[in-house]
Amino acid sequence: MTQVTRKQLVMIKGTKSGLVLRLDDQCAYSELVSELEQKVREEALEGTTEIQLHLGNRYCTDEQVKELINCVQESPHLRVSKVQSDVIRVEECNRLIKESQSETFVGIVRSGQVVQAEGDLVIIGDVNPNGKAIANGNIFVLGRLKGIAHAGAGGNRDAVIAASWLEATHLMIADKVETMTDELTVLSERPEMECAYIHRSGFIAIDRLQELRILRPYLSTFKGGS
Amino acid sequence: MGEAIVVTSGKGGVGKTTTTANLGTALALQGKKVCLIDTDIGLRNLDVVLGLENRIIYDLVDVVEGRCRVNQALVKDKRFEDRLFLLPAAQTADKLAVSPEQMRELVTELKREYDYILIDCPAGIEQGYQNAVAGADRAIVVTTPEISAVRDADRIIGLLEQEEGIEPPKLIINRIKRHLMESGEALDVNEITTHLSIDLLGIVMDDENVISSSNKGEPVVLNPANRAATGYRNIARRILGESVPLMSMDEPKKGFLGKLKSIFTK
Repeated sequence: MTQVTRKQLVMIKGTKSGLVLRLDDQCAYSELVSELEQKVREEALEGTTEIQLHLGNRYCTDEQVKELINCVQESPHLRVSKVQSDVIRVEECNRLIKESQSETFVGIVRSGQVVQAEGDLVIIGDVNPNGKAIANGNIFVLGRLKGIAHAGAGGNRDAVIAASWLEATHLMIADKVETMTDELTVLSERPEMECAYIHRSGFIAIDRLQELRILRPYLSTFKGGS
Repeated sequence: MGEAIVVTSGKGGVGKTTTTANLGTALALQGKKVCLIDTDIGLRNLDVVLGLENRIIYDLVDVVEGRCRVNQALVKDKRFEDRLFLLPAAQTADKLAVSPEQMRELVTELKREYDYILIDCPAGIEQGYQNAVAGADRAIVVTTPEISAVRDADRIIGLLEQEEGIEPPKLIINRIKRHLMESGEALDVNEITTHLSIDLLGIVMDDENVISSSNKGEPVVLNPANRAATGYRNIARRILGESVPLMSMDEPKKGFLGKLKSIFTK
């Protein structure tokens, strides 16, 4: 009797981009896994279907997420494209907040000094040769950038480096490195108000600061105005 | 209570020792009581430049290790009655023979008796530098118009700015060759000061007599006609708080006939 009225722990929903498996967030994890295994076996599909797992208000550790994915992918026809949860850990939340914030350094980053930021980095002053500015986000220098700048150090390839005077010895964005040698044709005589970013070609490009509005429109967080 | 000033540069060979000797002498000429400390243990030469080499009995390490009192180790420069003294470095030990705490103690003791303590710092940024900086209230960074010296000065300024209890460092640009600066082959004074963005304390022209007088053990500043000497004398006056305009880099004045000639050649 109870078997019949039991609530389904795995709901299947079809969308344009494939199947969504909505997993119950109130039951025990072990129950969920066993029901998921069962459901996956029942499904009679041909070809490969993209699966999205929605965890609801359940927090799963990395191992658990991996287990759920493996569970689904036991069927040769299913492939997990995305795992989504409505909850995150406090630590991760704090990290995300930090990454979205901008830190300001006032002064000169001198030879041998390193200034590092979790999110964006604003330097009011120069970065002298052999001085280093590192940020997980973007780097903005209100002064002369004559040293080394590494934006998107955590792997963000959309990060940019902008400076009032861009005369760096090395520019790095995510995993790309550009040494600013004379052979680099993009270098200008007066490197005033310029920005560096990863171009579609995969190389670091340098452009006028004004172009940033078009290149990275989402950098502007300003809402409203006329 | 006196003031302790460390003379440093990062790079070697830019003229720290010469600057220390000449500024010390210039301050003594102005009537101040000055004590020079050589902290370049193992490679001392401030004593040689001052011509006091053969009068050394005890040294810095002897004082720190308690083998003698400070006053026994101080070498008096007889040219200035009781106004110029040198605490020489040891030649047989290394930089690790002295710790920053011991230096701080020593400098504090000397400050009670002297108006100015000038500390000659060794090249580099290791223990020797740490020792030299430990007791200082002010710092002078010496550089030359060469890119390598300016880079090292930048590094040392960064370190000095992190040091607690020291005023923002001031800059001396040494060994300026006028023709190289004017032709743009050497960095010019403006370029260096904007790059390092610290206050300029003074400039010293390059002059052959600096070497010959150092070899004789007579600091060049004793010869008032010399243009390097003028630079050092101006800097000493600025240390004393006077405002002295920056000397012009022009060649020394020609005689009457020379002036006449230049009028006609114009």
